[in-house]
Amino acid sequence: MDRPDNQQNRPARWGLKGKLILAMLLVGVFPLLIGLVMAFLQGSQEIREVNGASFEALATETARKLDLVLSDEIARTSRIANDPLIVRALEDRRDRVQVLSEPARQTLTKKSAGQWEARDPAFVKAVTEGRLASLLRQYYTGSELETEQSLPIAIRAATRSLYVTDLTGGLIASINTAAPYHSADSPWWQGAFNKGVGKPYVENLAFDDKLGVYTFTVSLPVMDGIRYQAIGVVHRVYDAKEFLAPTTHPIRFGKTGHAMLIDSDGTVLSCPILPTGVRLADPDLIPLVTQPQPGWVKAPSDGHGGRDTSIIGFATLPETSRITRGSTGRLWHTFVWQSSDELFAPVKHLLTWISVFGLIAVGLLVSLGYVAAVRIVTPIRRLQEIARLIGRGALREPIHIKTGDEIEDLADEIARMNAQLEVAFAGLTDQVELKTQEVQYLQKSTDQILDGVPTPIIMLDQGMGVQYINRASRDTFSLKDLDRNSVGLFELLPLDDPSRERLREEFDALVNEPDHERDGMPSLPRELRDPLAPQRASVTDSARKELHIGLRVYRYEWFQSTGRPGEGQRIGLVLRDTTDESRLQDQLIQAEKLGSLGVLSAGIGHELNNPLFGILGLGEAIQDETDLDQVRSYARDIVQHGKRMATTIRDFTGLARAEGMDRQVQVDINEQLDQALKLAQLAHGGAGLNVQTKYQPLPKTHAVPEELRQVFLNIIANSVQAMQGKGLLSLFTEAKEGMVVVTIRDSGPGIPKPYLQKIFDPFFTTKGQGSGTGLGLTVANRIITKYGGHIQMESEEGHGTLCRIMIPVHGPSHPRGESA
Amino acid sequence: MMPPKRSQRAVWLDVLAVVMIVAGSWTLSHGGKSDESVAPIPAEKVADLLHAVIEADRTIYTTHVVERMQEKGITFAAEHWEQRNALPLPAQFLKLAGRLAAESGIGIRYGLISLWPIRSGPTTEFERKGLEAVRTHPERPATSVVTSGRKRYFQAIYADRAVSKACVSCHNTHLLSPKRDFQLNDVMGGIVITIPLDN
Repeated sequence: MDRPDNQQNRPARWGLKGKLILAMLLVGVFPLLIGLVMAFLQGSQEIREVNGASFEALATETARKLDLVLSDEIARTSRIANDPLIVRALEDRRDRVQVLSEPARQTLTKKSAGQWEARDPAFVKAVTEGRLASLLRQYYTGSELETEQSLPIAIRAATRSLYVTDLTGGLIASINTAAPYHSADSPWWQGAFNKGVGKPYVENLAFDDKLGVYTFTVSLPVMDGIRYQAIGVVHRVYDAKEFLAPTTHPIRFGKTGHAMLIDSDGTVLSCPILPTGVRLADPDLIPLVTQPQPGWVKAPSDGHGGRDTSIIGFATLPETSRITRGSTGRLWHTFVWQSSDELFAPVKHLLTWISVFGLIAVGLLVSLGYVAAVRIVTPIRRLQEIARLIGRGALREPIHIKTGDEIEDLADEIARMNAQLEVAFAGLTDQVELKTQEVQYLQKSTDQILDGVPTPIIMLDQGMGVQYINRASRDTFSLKDLDRNSVGLFELLPLDDPSRERLREEFDALVNEPDHERDGMPSLPRELRDPLAPQRASVTDSARKELHIGLRVYRYEWFQSTGRPGEGQRIGLVLRDTTDESRLQDQLIQAEKLGSLGVLSAGIGHELNNPLFGILGLGEAIQDETDLDQVRSYARDIVQHGKRMATTIRDFTGLARAEGMDRQVQVDINEQLDQALKLAQLAHGGAGLNVQTKYQPLPKTHAVPEELRQVFLNIIANSVQAMQGKGLLSLFTEAKEGMVVVTIRDSGPGIPKPYLQKIFDPFFTTKGQGSGTGLGLTVANRIITKYGGHIQMESEEGHGTLCRIMIPVHGPSHPRGESA
Repeated sequence: MMPPKRSQRAVWLDVLAVVMIVAGSWTLSHGGKSDESVAPIPAEKVADLLHAVIEADRTIYTTHVVERMQEKGITFAAEHWEQRNALPLPAQFLKLAGRLAAESGIGIRYGLISLWPIRSGPTTEFERKGLEAVRTHPERPATSVVTSGRKRYFQAIYADRAVSKACVSCHNTHLLSPKRDFQLNDVMGGIVITIPLDN
């Protein structure tokens, strides 16, 4: 019934519908995002590579085209240099000049230069309109070329100056007056003349102040008829922009894509956007695009002022660069570029379209996910409701879920399960009723059994509260049925405080004891006690598990009982009325005491009888003895026997107390053994005995001599009595391992095996009434034990007995005191 | 850059040898006034000496520099050797050495010309006829005294054969080559040596 509450209290969480929508969204979005990124990266990469390769190809093609144009132009100019008229004229001039002395040559040069600078009409006319000048003009206009070849107008228009110098650098012919007269000091002249060897020379881009434009020049040596030596130089000046633009400027693609020409210093020779003569703004870009081999590069800037990443194709003009390298050391390169915005526009368009498509896809995913989730979740929720109704047992309607999939199968299974549950529950109810009846019967039976027991039984819980009392309890203690759930034990039983305290301690011990100790009731410590020792009243009270309730005495026992699940163990208390039994036991103890006293008296008689017979024997011997010394010896023995009797009496009146008071001295054990032998022979008649003694020298032992002698006497007396005065008695002494070992062997009948273990018990004797107290060996054992030694008895029935007494040489530092 | 430097050094050694020969012959023929017993060396002999040195230098360069380096994979020879950071071709080596010798100012000129030139063809009638002559009789040079203005020069043209497969394959595949059916040991052109005869 609390399930709805649990559902209400359940923390907010994602429902199955939300999870399904989220799952479909994630499944769709992640691949979409990855696809978008991959498409963008791959598209960018491919566009870079395709455009780079295209730019490289275009740069190479442009370089090849420019190279052809420049090569054609150099070839056209070289025809001027190879023209036989010019060659012959310069050979004549060489022959004339070389015969002149150096001063005469300088004078001539200075004079001609002055005339040229002063624009001497005759001189100017000779230079600009002479035969060679006319020839130059024909080459300039193209009329000197083959008919099938036409000079490009742009080339002619770009030519700003064309003239020829002789081998001294002096001007000999020109198409205009823009040329200087003396050029021998010019780099281009020295480069082309090349010490008379001759070499094509292409001068780099430079701003011509007179012309006001950027120009480059081509200088070719005029070789003599056998091409042995240079005899002059043909020099041609071009407007760089006008010459190169017709080749580079038409190469445009897109809005910004174009080709341009730069030298290896990054100076622009021709560009549709940048002015000629400027240097590329980014110096880091120059080494990237002036490689000797054609290629393309992804550059950090575009060379046109932009800082965007750019794709730039480049290539070197191979033939032209061969000349420029030998001339100025610089190479000419083409440079093909398109702005990044335009270049990457397809990628951006692609990204935009993919993004739009992605958004649409996400929307579709959410919508489809919602529809799918609703279709999946609705029957599941219906199943959830059905399960809840089944749990309550409130399902009344049949289950109708038709989805045509696993959910429908699940619904069928739940319907089947519900039917089986109904059947199972029906049988279970009957079983519960049956078991309940059995439990009730067992409870009633148990109550009747317990009520039939005449002994009071009380069941307690863990808090010592009374849970149950039987009829005997009610009758005994005049109680009614428990009308409360929990009544304290001491409210039922009127006990004195010590009894309550004892019961509580025992109860707590039971409750708190470990499980493995609960197999029995706690037992009081058992201690062995000497029956002759005075009994302690406290021990008697506690050992007796008795309770005094009113005038009656009850013995009680605790027991444990399994409690209900979760309630722990129950403790039971059984009380047995032992009022009459206790009285009988007291009487029995009293009788035992009296019996013990009789035995004690017999024992005293036995102990006193031995020395008394000794005294009697000695007295009779004195009567017949005439030797005074012998009489004195007998008298001394009589005195010793008297002392022994006094000692025996003293021992019986207080064994340990009396022994403890004697002073210990250094004792010769051989001597004491010998005296004990004599006494035994006197007391028990040793005439038929064959006594063998073998004493070894022994160290002195610290002891009371009488005690040791009594030990030996008791044991020898037992042997003599056992042999009935006949047989072999052997006495040996030896010192071994710090002990004195006294061995007494007899040839008597031996001790039966069952008795062997009891011979040291008090009052155990095999002798007839009045022959022994059963205390002889007991006393001997206690004395030897007191000195830290022990007695071994070995006997086999029919083969005599061997007694081995082992006494420490120095004895214990503190002999064991006996409290009783 | 090491191979080009090495080749430059070889060119200089070549030039030094040529200069010493020319200077020696010049001294013997024109400046030997202090020792009247020494007869001048004929120009033909000087040209033969020069040709022997030029030929030997190119052969050494071809076999001991270019081919060895190519076999070891260190570098290779290419026409655009400056751009490609490679070695000059043996023909380019000879022409570079000739240019260097000319630039020394001693007056010697030598170079390669061919009736089927990639770059340098005959520029005079003698050169054209001389090439034809050595093509027919490669065992002997074509010689002549030529003039430029009032100056006289001795010129000799020696047959230049295709001594290796590399020579044949390069000329047979070059875009600018007019003839593409050269065989090994064919006369591909000539080494023209020019010696000034005037003081």
